[in-house]
Amino acid sequence: MDVLNLLFVNLREAITTWLAGFLPMWAAEAVVHFGVGLILVVIGLLAVMVLTLGERKVIGRAQDRYGPNRWGPWGILTPVADAIKMLTKEDIVPEGADYWVHLLAPMCAIIAAVLIYAVLPFGEGMWGTDLNIGILYIVAIASLGTIAILMAGWSSNNKYSLLGAFRVVAQLISYEIPMLLSIVAVVLLTGSMSMVEIVRQQSVPHLITMPMVFFVYLLAASAELYRTPFDMIEADSELVAGFFTEYSGMKFVMFFMSEYFNLFAMSAIITTLFLAGWRGPILPGYVWFFFKCGVVIFFYWWVRSMMPRIRIDHLLNLAWKFLVPLALVNLMVVGLVDKLIADGIVQDVVLLAANIVVAIVVIGLLAFASRKTRSKRLQRITARR
Amino acid sequence: MLRTETITLNLGPQHPSTHGVFRLRLQLNGETVVGIEPVMGYLHRGIEKLCEQGTYVQVIPLTDRLDYVCSMTNNQAYAVAVEKLLGLEVPERAEYIRVIMAELTRIINHMMAVGFLWNELGAYFTPAMYCFRAREHILDLFEMTCGSRMMCNYMRPGGVSGDLPEGFLPAAKKFNDYFKGVIDQLETFLNENEVFLARAVDVGVLPADVAINASITGPMLRASGVAYDIRKVDHYSVYDRFDFDVPTCSNGDVYDRYLQHIKEMWQSVRIIEQALDGIPEGEVMNDQAAKALRRPPQGEAYGRIESPKGELSFYVVSDGSANPYRVRIRPPSQINLSALKEMCEGHKIQDIVIILGSINLTMADLDR
Amino acid sequence: MFGLGIVKGLWTTGKHFVQSYLGHTGLREGIRPDPTLGGLFTVQYPEEKLPMFPRFRGALMHLRDAETGEPKCTACGLCVRACPNDVIAVDGEGKGRDRKVTAYHYNLARCLFCRLCVEACTFSAIEMSHEYELASYSPDLVWGLEKLLAIGDKYGVHEAGKAWE
Repeated sequence: MDVLNLLFVNLREAITTWLAGFLPMWAAEAVVHFGVGLILVVIGLLAVMVLTLGERKVIGRAQDRYGPNRWGPWGILTPVADAIKMLTKEDIVPEGADYWVHLLAPMCAIIAAVLIYAVLPFGEGMWGTDLNIGILYIVAIASLGTIAILMAGWSSNNKYSLLGAFRVVAQLISYEIPMLLSIVAVVLLTGSMSMVEIVRQQSVPHLITMPMVFFVYLLAASAELYRTPFDMIEADSELVAGFFTEYSGMKFVMFFMSEYFNLFAMSAIITTLFLAGWRGPILPGYVWFFFKCGVVIFFYWWVRSMMPRIRIDHLLNLAWKFLVPLALVNLMVVGLVDKLIADGIVQDVVLLAANIVVAIVVIGLLAFASRKTRSKRLQRITARR
Repeated sequence: MLRTETITLNLGPQHPSTHGVFRLRLQLNGETVVGIEPVMGYLHRGIEKLCEQGTYVQVIPLTDRLDYVCSMTNNQAYAVAVEKLLGLEVPERAEYIRVIMAELTRIINHMMAVGFLWNELGAYFTPAMYCFRAREHILDLFEMTCGSRMMCNYMRPGGVSGDLPEGFLPAAKKFNDYFKGVIDQLETFLNENEVFLARAVDVGVLPADVAINASITGPMLRASGVAYDIRKVDHYSVYDRFDFDVPTCSNGDVYDRYLQHIKEMWQSVRIIEQALDGIPEGEVMNDQAAKALRRPPQGEAYGRIESPKGELSFYVVSDGSANPYRVRIRPPSQINLSALKEMCEGHKIQDIVIILGSINLTMADLDR
Repeated sequence: MFGLGIVKGLWTTGKHFVQSYLGHTGLREGIRPDPTLGGLFTVQYPEEKLPMFPRFRGALMHLRDAETGEPKCTACGLCVRACPNDVIAVDGEGKGRDRKVTAYHYNLARCLFCRLCVEACTFSAIEMSHEYELASYSPDLVWGLEKLLAIGDKYGVHEAGKAWE
């Protein structure tokens, strides 16, 4: 099994050695690095293709219907049809729009999405580069995506696009803080910001030792990806389409693809931070990694199929009044346990217990705060027949 | 001098949500709505004028196209009005058939209301698909009986146009038993969703006195707490033989209107069960009807029923000839919309969309 | 309560998802699907077509006499007067018992499929067929007598209103 596990690593070594036969070593390394970068982008694009189709099929199945199944067997060629359709659309730039910003915004969005793939560990030895500030790099790049949205909203010369962009930026910035605090909790436990190190330290996945941190991160990541229930910007039953109203053709495709690049990247980050990355018995590492990513993405699709949207003020309330304090409390608890108890199975058990205590306290506080409205609502719901 | 101005925004005729062509001019102060002006008439087809050109029976396919979701009850309202004008008796079996069809129509309308309300909330068509799946079985029952799923053209003044086919009663019974499970599943799925509770409770509140003053009828009125149901007030058709309640809700917000639709579906299931058990044999059409329609007495009649959207009524004026002189239709959707300003003031744009969804409009009914 | 409502929603959707793989798929037995069967509800048109109920109101068709094979229509014009939308135009020759139809124009673009014409006909000469695939690229939507008789032959119907007894 080790052969399969290290298959791609050995392949890379072999190609480097072969190239070093007729190129100087630095050139061989450079070519291989370039090839790896290209492969990462291709993985991202394939992920986009699979995700767009898979989402429609899974949500279709939840609605008692097939998804798209006309193009190719089981509809496999549907992303190709989508791509052809989008490539043939006319590229319209609104009059009075700031041309260069209008052009650069989708590029920034997709650059921000693709750059994350450089540090994701897909398996044993299979990563673009092992930065020792890996997770900090990811958070910084994600902020670049926020600027791209502001550029898009500004440059469209449309006050509703601008308002939509403001709302989205407020959402993204508000949810970066709980995300960051959860990441800090994980980094605190691991002692290193390198993605590879985080996976190596998870003999027990962090999902089991720190479920509350996972919960906060999951909600914050949902909001960062603007997926349901936080998908006001894509709301097609509300009046404006948001910041990408004025985009058409290839530029719109760039925004669209950046959303799915981000989706795969974020699920990969969740897998790395909380689900123990590529670790697992029997099967090669990369198979486990993609399987776990698939589970996270399936969960996102599942939630999308049935959740209504949250209103903007509820969304911001949720971020600032619930998730930020909860993330801070989680951080304190994790820090305390990490300091007081030595590494090992005892620490894991105590962490799990501490998280459960936090959960119970939170539920208790919420129950206490909402007891009056809850009893009124329960009356109305139970008096249904 | 610094001051803020309100923006005027057009919730334009081409709606992404699903009510048809309807224009709403909003005055916005930031995100909050301070003024609303609906502009209607995009779907006006002149049905009331077309009614004057045909005979009494030729008007019935036109009434199908008023509120296309509930075509059976539209037919019934017109039939009730013309029967009052002519003084016709309807045979008992025809009345039972009419009740069954009307309650099935109530179910399809409420399923569509619930489904599309959730569409506007953002649940990605899933509740709508579950509702539409149940609707398909009812539409199959309609097709079995009259040949068409939507434009039924089934009820005539004096009875119904044809008897039920053989397979109808067992199929309707099977559907009724299955449907109880569907509403149960829908309630489990939707009733306690926290996001829905946060978005719909205390949004778009319609107080009972405002509702009564604005002549609002139907599920909207009952959701505000007024127990007014024309089936119980007027005792038209054979509704007084069935045992059913008139459910109400207390608050009159979007959540209550949604819950009202669900409660009314439970009552409709009860009525259908009793009607299927008690349907008598007999003929389905009054023999005098054809002759009476050719030479009706001069006069006028006002016939109203409890359609799924509210009080649908026809005011028929006859001048003695074979064509009606004037047919005036009271559209429940249009009158229900008149309280929009009171309901929407002070809310955000996102709330306006769901308030419109909860009123359960059909533009064809509004504009005729 | 605290996410329990959301969990119930996820449970329902998940159940439908799993059931769509385990339950029946596609076209079922009988004229229409049994409501109690779970699973997928889609019928893959045009590979699978649902059969129509006997009373289904499709496009109009003309009926022939079972013995002689002649069209039964006598060009009396009752259907023209019964139609709410001026869909039919009829021409005939002969008088009394021998009157026969020579031209019959049925404007498919205006037809409401309401069946009032069939209810008015006393000779049982027309009926609604089960034709519903009526879309066409060319604007020749006024059908003549030959086409209507051909549809009647295709469905092999000789008496109107059989399904309504």
